[in-house]
Amino acid sequence: MTAVTRPVTGSVAPDSAPPAPAPPSVRRRRRGPMAYVVFGVLVAVMALFLGPLLIVAINSFKSASDFAAHGPLALPHGWHLSTITRFWKRVDFGTKLINSLEISLAVSVLGVVLALLNSYAIGIGRVRGRALFLVFFLMVNVVPQEGLVYPLYYLAKQVNLYDSKIAVIIIFTVIQSAFGTYLLSSVLAEFPTELIEAAEIDGANSWRTLTRIVLPMSWPTLSVMFTFFFIWTWNEFFLPLVFLISNDNQTVPVALAVLQGQHSMDVTATSASALLGVLPALLFFLVFQRTLTRGIAAGALK
Amino acid sequence: MSGGAAAGPPAGRRPGPGRRRRHRTRGYFWYLLPGLVLSFVVIVVPLAMNVGLSFTSWPGVGNPEWIGTRNYTRLFHDENFWASFRHTAAIVLAMAVVPTVLGLVLAAVLFDYVAKRFSSRSASLFRSGLYLPQVLPVAVSGIVWSWLLLPDGAVNALAKDAGLGGLVRDWLGDPDSALPSVLGIMIWIQLGYPVVMFMAGLQRVNPELYEAAEMDGAGWWQRFRRITVHQVRPELYVVLATTTIAALKTFAQVFVLTRGGPGNATLVPSYFAYRSFFEDADVGYGSAISSIMVLLILVVGVVFVRLQTRADTEGRR
Amino acid sequence: MRFRSLSRPRRALATLAAASLALAGCSSSGGSSNASPGGSKDYKGKTLTLWHYEGADSAMGIAWNQAIKDFKAKYPGVKVKFEAKGFEQIQKNANMILNSDSAPDILEYNKGNGTAGLLSKLGLLTNLTSAVHNYGWDKKLGSSLQTTARYSKGVMGSGDWYGVPNYGEYVMVYYNKKMFTKYGVPVPTTYDQFVTALDTFRQKGVTPIANGGAEYPAQQIFYELDLAKADRQFVNDYQLYQHKVDFHGPQLTYAAQTFADWVKKGYIAKDSANLKAQDMGNAFEQQKNPIMISGSWWYGTFKNEIKNFDWGTFLFPGNKLDPGSSGNLWVVPAKSKNKSMAYDFIDITMQPDVQNLLGNSGGIPVAADVAKITDPKNKELIQNFDKLSAQDGLAFYPDWPTPSYYDTLVAGVQELINGTKSPSGFLDSIAKPYNDYRSQLGK
Repeated sequence: MTAVTRPVTGSVAPDSAPPAPAPPSVRRRRRGPMAYVVFGVLVAVMALFLGPLLIVAINSFKSASDFAAHGPLALPHGWHLSTITRFWKRVDFGTKLINSLEISLAVSVLGVVLALLNSYAIGIGRVRGRALFLVFFLMVNVVPQEGLVYPLYYLAKQVNLYDSKIAVIIIFTVIQSAFGTYLLSSVLAEFPTELIEAAEIDGANSWRTLTRIVLPMSWPTLSVMFTFFFIWTWNEFFLPLVFLISNDNQTVPVALAVLQGQHSMDVTATSASALLGVLPALLFFLVFQRTLTRGIAAGALK
Repeated sequence: MSGGAAAGPPAGRRPGPGRRRRHRTRGYFWYLLPGLVLSFVVIVVPLAMNVGLSFTSWPGVGNPEWIGTRNYTRLFHDENFWASFRHTAAIVLAMAVVPTVLGLVLAAVLFDYVAKRFSSRSASLFRSGLYLPQVLPVAVSGIVWSWLLLPDGAVNALAKDAGLGGLVRDWLGDPDSALPSVLGIMIWIQLGYPVVMFMAGLQRVNPELYEAAEMDGAGWWQRFRRITVHQVRPELYVVLATTTIAALKTFAQVFVLTRGGPGNATLVPSYFAYRSFFEDADVGYGSAISSIMVLLILVVGVVFVRLQTRADTEGRR
Repeated sequence: MRFRSLSRPRRALATLAAASLALAGCSSSGGSSNASPGGSKDYKGKTLTLWHYEGADSAMGIAWNQAIKDFKAKYPGVKVKFEAKGFEQIQKNANMILNSDSAPDILEYNKGNGTAGLLSKLGLLTNLTSAVHNYGWDKKLGSSLQTTARYSKGVMGSGDWYGVPNYGEYVMVYYNKKMFTKYGVPVPTTYDQFVTALDTFRQKGVTPIANGGAEYPAQQIFYELDLAKADRQFVNDYQLYQHKVDFHGPQLTYAAQTFADWVKKGYIAKDSANLKAQDMGNAFEQQKNPIMISGSWWYGTFKNEIKNFDWGTFLFPGNKLDPGSSGNLWVVPAKSKNKSMAYDFIDITMQPDVQNLLGNSGGIPVAADVAKITDPKNKELIQNFDKLSAQDGLAFYPDWPTPSYYDTLVAGVQELINGTKSPSGFLDSIAKPYNDYRSQLGK
C-alpha cells in the first residue's frame, strides 16, 4: 500500500512525496513580548484550575481538630497521614480501587471496540439511514439516567445481575460506546476514500481494511476516546450507587459517599478520599496523554 | 477546505455520492449489529418502560397504578417545572456555547502558538491543567467551590484584598448570584473537554497548511478562522452537541452546590426528576419529567445530526 | 423505667415465650415465628448480614461494634458480616435493595412516615410485634420513643412494631462558654434572657446563631420557635394528621415572624441561605458564632474535635416541646434470611453494657443506667433527653409530614432568610404541599 503524508486530511494529493513534516516544536518561532503575556495569562488560568485540587490535597493531611479550629482554607498545622490511612481501612479502599479499575478498564476497552465497529459501518461504510443511526447513538449516550434506573433495576433482577459488576460494565459500555460512535463516525466520515479504494483494489475485505488501515490511522481519536471513557466511567456515581450494593462490589465514588452522613460530613476524610479517588484517574490521564502526543507527533503512519 | 492540490487522477478528487455506493455491497451493516442489539436491551427497552411509567402513580414497589395523563397535567401547572427549564437555557450557554468557543480558542492558542513558541511539552502541560476539573468527581469540586464561595471564603477574601470590595457577596446563597455562580463553576468544569477534543482534532491538520498560510502573511487570527475552525469541524459538531445535551441533563453540579436552591433559583429538570424518584418516591411523576427531557434532547440531537450530515454530504469548500 | 436491669423479668418472659410458642405453633398477626429469647440457640456456621451507616467513631458505631463482639461471644461459631454503608445509598435505594435478594438480615433505617412508615406499608419490613413482646423491648422504651417504632398503614404512632431504636436524639442549644464570658453575656435560663443574650452579641458585632440554610438546621430552628407556642395536640395534628393544621394559626405565624425578625436583627446571618449543616458546625467550631441550635448528633463530634474552648448545652429556654425522637431503627427486612438471629442481635444492643457504652461514648441511650455514665457532660446530655422524653416533649421533626417536605421547607426557609418571601407568603408556600399530601392520605 502506498505511503501517505498525514492521516485524514482533506485535500492532500496522494502522490506527492511524503516529506514526514517536522513536528511543530522543531521550528520554533521568535518569542515576542506578546508570547510571554499569553504564557502569563495561561499560568494564571492554571492557578485557577489547579487551585481547588490543591485545597483538596491540603485538607487530606489535616487532623479533624485542625480542620475544626482553622477551617478548610488554612494550611495544615502538622501533617497527618492518619486521616488517609483511617479512611483507607474503613472503606477497604484497596478493594474499591480494584473494582473501579476493573470496571473502568473493561468499559474503556469494550467501548472503544464497539464504537469502532459502529463507526466503521456508519462513517466509512455509509450504510443507509446514516443520520438515523447517528441520532440513535447520540440518544443512547445522553438519555438521562434517572429515568432508566427503575426499569434497569427490574431487568437486572430478572437475569440475576442486580448487585453485580457485570451489569454496570454492560450498561456503561453501551452508553460510552454510543458517544464514541457519534464522535468517531464524524471523524471517519472524512477519511480519505482513496485509501479505502486502494485497499479494495489490493483485494482487502472490509475487516482487513478496518484493522490494517482505518484502525491505525484513527489512533488519535481512539486514544482520546479511551481516555475519556476511562475517566467518565471512573467518576460515575449514580448507576453504581444503585446497582452495586455489596461493599465488595462498590467503586471509589460510591465509597466516597459513605462519608456524607445523615447530619454532617466527615470533611477531612472526604478530602482524603477525594485525593485517593482522583489520583488513579489523574495518573491515567497523564500517562495516556503522553503516548497520545508522542504517537501523533511521530508523523507519518503506514 | 483550503489548499487544493488535487490535480491528477480522479481518485484524488473527492468522489460524489455515486462513487460511494460501491461500498454498500460489502455488508457493512453487520458491524452495527452488536452495538444495536446491546443498545436496544440496555437503553431502548428501559426508556420505553420509563415512558410507560409516566402514565402511572407508583412509589417504587408494588403495582403501578394507571392514572393516564395526570402526571403531565400536574407538571404543566408546576411552577418548579417551568423554572427548571428557564434555568436550562442559561446553562446551555454556560456549559455548551462558552466552553466550546473558549475551548476552541484555547486549543488553537496552545497548539499553534504556545507549542511553536515554547514547546509542545508546555502546551501539553497546560492542556492537562485545563482538563483537571474534568477528572475530579463533581462531588469533590462542588464541595471545594462551596468552601471558596462561602460568605467568608477565599473568593470574597481575595476580592477584598484586591480592593474589589464591591464584589463581595453571598455567592451561592443570594438568589441573584446563585445561578451565575453555578454557571461559572460549570464553565470551569467543562472547559477541559473541548480543549482536549479540539487539540486531538488539530493533530490531524497538516502543519504545512499553517506554514503556507503564514508565509502568505496570514496572522494568527486569520489562520485560526480559515484553517483551524474548518479542520476541526467534526469535533466542533460533536462537542457542541454533547455539551448542549449535557447542559440539558445537568444534575451533579446543582446537586452538590445548591440542591436547586435558594428557593428554586437553581433548579434544573434532572434534579427535579431525581427528587421525584428518590426523595418523594413518586416514580410516575419523575418518569414524566424524564420523558419530556428525552423528547427535548431528541429534538436537539436530531437538529445537530442533520446539520452535521448535511455539511458532510454538501462537499467541502 | 428504663434503668431496670434485666435478669428477673427476662427469665420470666423467656419461660412464658417458650410456653406460648409451644402452644401457639405459628404466630398469627404478621409477626414471625422463633421470635423468642433465651434457650440455647445454635448459630454455628451461620452468618448474620448487618448494615448500618453510623460513623465508626460515633457513639452508635462504638456501641454497635461492642454489640457485634458480644453477639459473637454469646453464640460461638456465628459469623457477622458487617457492611458500613453510605446514608445516601440506603435512603435513596432502600425499596430497591429490600425488594431484592441482596437485602441484609438486619439494618439501620430512618424513622418516620416517609421512611420506615413507607417501607412498612409496602411490605418490605418484618412485623416485629411478637418479638418485641417476647424480648420485652417495649418495657424499655418510653411511649414517645415507641411512637416512631410503630406504624399503622405507614403512619407512625400506633399499630405493629416495625423497628427498634437503640438511642434517642433531640435538638438543643450548644453554646461557646469562652465567648459568653468574653462578651460578658450571662448564660440564659429563660426565653427573655435568651433573646437578651442574642441582642448583646449582636451589639458587640457578633452574629450569635450559626445556621445552615441549605439543609436541615434552619427549618429546625423555625420548628423550635413554633413549639414555643404549641402543645402536644398541635404536634399530633401536624405529625399524625389528627386534625387539620391552620398554617396561619398562632404557633406557625409566631414562628415565621420571629424567624424573619431574627434574620432582620442579625441574630441569624442574612447570608446563611446556602450554608450546609457542616458549614454551620464548622462555624461553631471555629468560634465564628457562639450559639448553635441543632441536634445531639453533633455532640460526639464536638467532644472529639473542639480542643480550644469550653462549651456546653442547654434545652431551648421556655419550651416544653423540642424537636427530637427516637434514633434510627433496627429493622428486619421481610426478605431477611436469618430473622431470629436478627432479633437476638437487637436484644444484645438493648443490654446494659451496650447501652451504657453508648452513653459513655457521647450518645443518648434508651435503656442505660445513668449512674454508670461517667462523664458529667454526657450525663447532662442524657438527663436532658430523659427529662424531655418523660414530659412527652419529643415533637419529632418538621419535615416528617410528607415525603417531599424536607425540600419544601428548605426552599421556603431560604426565601425567608433572603427576604424574598414574607412570613405569610412563606407559610402559604409550605401549607399547600402539606394539605395536598394530607388529602392524598384520605384524611
